[in-house]
Amino acid sequence: MVKETYLHEKHVALGAKMVDFAGWHMPVQYSSIIEEHKTVREKVGLFDVSHMGEVIVKGKDAIAFLNKIVPQSIDKLDYEKAVYCQLPNKDGGLIDDLIIYNLGINLYLVICNASRIDEDLNWIVRNKRGMDVKIDNQSHNYSLLAIQGPKAIDLMKKMGYKIEGQKSFTIKPAIIEGVHLLASRTGYTGEDGFELLVENEYSEFLWDKILEDGQEFGIKPIGLGARDTLRLEAALHLYGNDLDETTTPVEAGLSWSIPKDKIADYNGKEVIMNQLKNGVDKKLVGLVMLDKNIARHGYDVYYQGEKVGHVTSGCVSPSTGKNIALAYIKADNDISIGTTVQIMIREKLHDAQVVKRPFIEKRNRV
Amino acid sequence: MAFQDEILCSKSHEYVWKNNTIGLTDYAIEQLGDIVFLELPEIGDEFNKGDAFANIESVKAASEIYMPISGKIVEVNTALVDSPESLNEDCWENGWLVKIETTAGEEELSDLLTYEQYKKELE
Repeated sequence: MVKETYLHEKHVALGAKMVDFAGWHMPVQYSSIIEEHKTVREKVGLFDVSHMGEVIVKGKDAIAFLNKIVPQSIDKLDYEKAVYCQLPNKDGGLIDDLIIYNLGINLYLVICNASRIDEDLNWIVRNKRGMDVKIDNQSHNYSLLAIQGPKAIDLMKKMGYKIEGQKSFTIKPAIIEGVHLLASRTGYTGEDGFELLVENEYSEFLWDKILEDGQEFGIKPIGLGARDTLRLEAALHLYGNDLDETTTPVEAGLSWSIPKDKIADYNGKEVIMNQLKNGVDKKLVGLVMLDKNIARHGYDVYYQGEKVGHVTSGCVSPSTGKNIALAYIKADNDISIGTTVQIMIREKLHDAQVVKRPFIEKRNRV
Repeated sequence: MAFQDEILCSKSHEYVWKNNTIGLTDYAIEQLGDIVFLELPEIGDEFNKGDAFANIESVKAASEIYMPISGKIVEVNTALVDSPESLNEDCWENGWLVKIETTAGEEELSDLLTYEQYKKELE
């Protein structure tokens, strides 16, 4: 049974091309992926990301519990702050990646991937034995709307939102156009913007209002197609492509997100700490194709005639005009930034250069 | 007479015009979305009906294009390889992919549809 978000009728009315994604019937594009992509980079776009999971974690042991399941230091996460986290298994492989918000004393919000919610809940319940903590899956009650792009702040202000001092990776309760919601200054595009968590019954009203108020800023609804090219340019990982249960956060290039001084024990800590200290066998790199070909998920990577890895995500980059990719490659060789490797595309090798991630300059650090 | 009135379409969304010009239908292009890459065969290459002879990629995905009838490539639309995005504007008069010489007889044409029939099939 494919699920529909509360905004499904809106997408159909807007002429969206709908696809099944992670068990949801979602808009992949409304007009053109490239056009939608550019709208977010140059103006502002509106996304329905209500398929994402929302789980409330509360109770006396909430901090201790969260500290046990993620490498990040939840005890150091201040009120109304958010942190990008991973959910490792005992071997450090990733069950999911998450954003965790501190909503109050012993009250946390976990946003997870739609495709992983069942696995996440399974794992979470197995890990909470003996702890005074309640897990409340609220995914079916809430819609999530993302406003992203250089004009996102102007649009939020026009809708009466007082941003004053609200920094990136913080969340605040707000009333916009009479609707109670949570406004998080986060996103998945590399642009500045907000994600608005709202009760389902108000989502349609809010969707229409955002599109109406956003007209003067050139707003467009944006589908999952452009969401993917936007996140890849920003080198933001996609679970299932760039992250899975065989990749650790260190291999995935997420060491920056892992505190080195966390005292509490957590799942996978031994493997992760060992990799931080002694290095990894494979690592995630950014690639730019040197010809017109496009590297796609699953294509093999070669270096000096030897297979050294595989592409996990690849697409045209509408902002740079280049063809970009992320790939895991063996770490025990001299491949580094600037090295030319080859991608096997339709039984022929095509040159690609290892480049720094992200592929564009991110504008979401406030 | 409009170009579309003179084409025959395959169920895999290729068309052949006057037995010598091959392209992709507007429906195929619409389904693919923004076209960003096109790879065409060499002049002189020979293909049977149903063979993959070209590759096309949109932002989202890579696909093969199949011969609606057998033939030998005599001309390729090189301008299209340089600007594959123009396929989103016109896949007909200027958006053809290859020209062929064919020996295809009636039996190869028998499962192809007129544009009108093809459009009906899609409904």
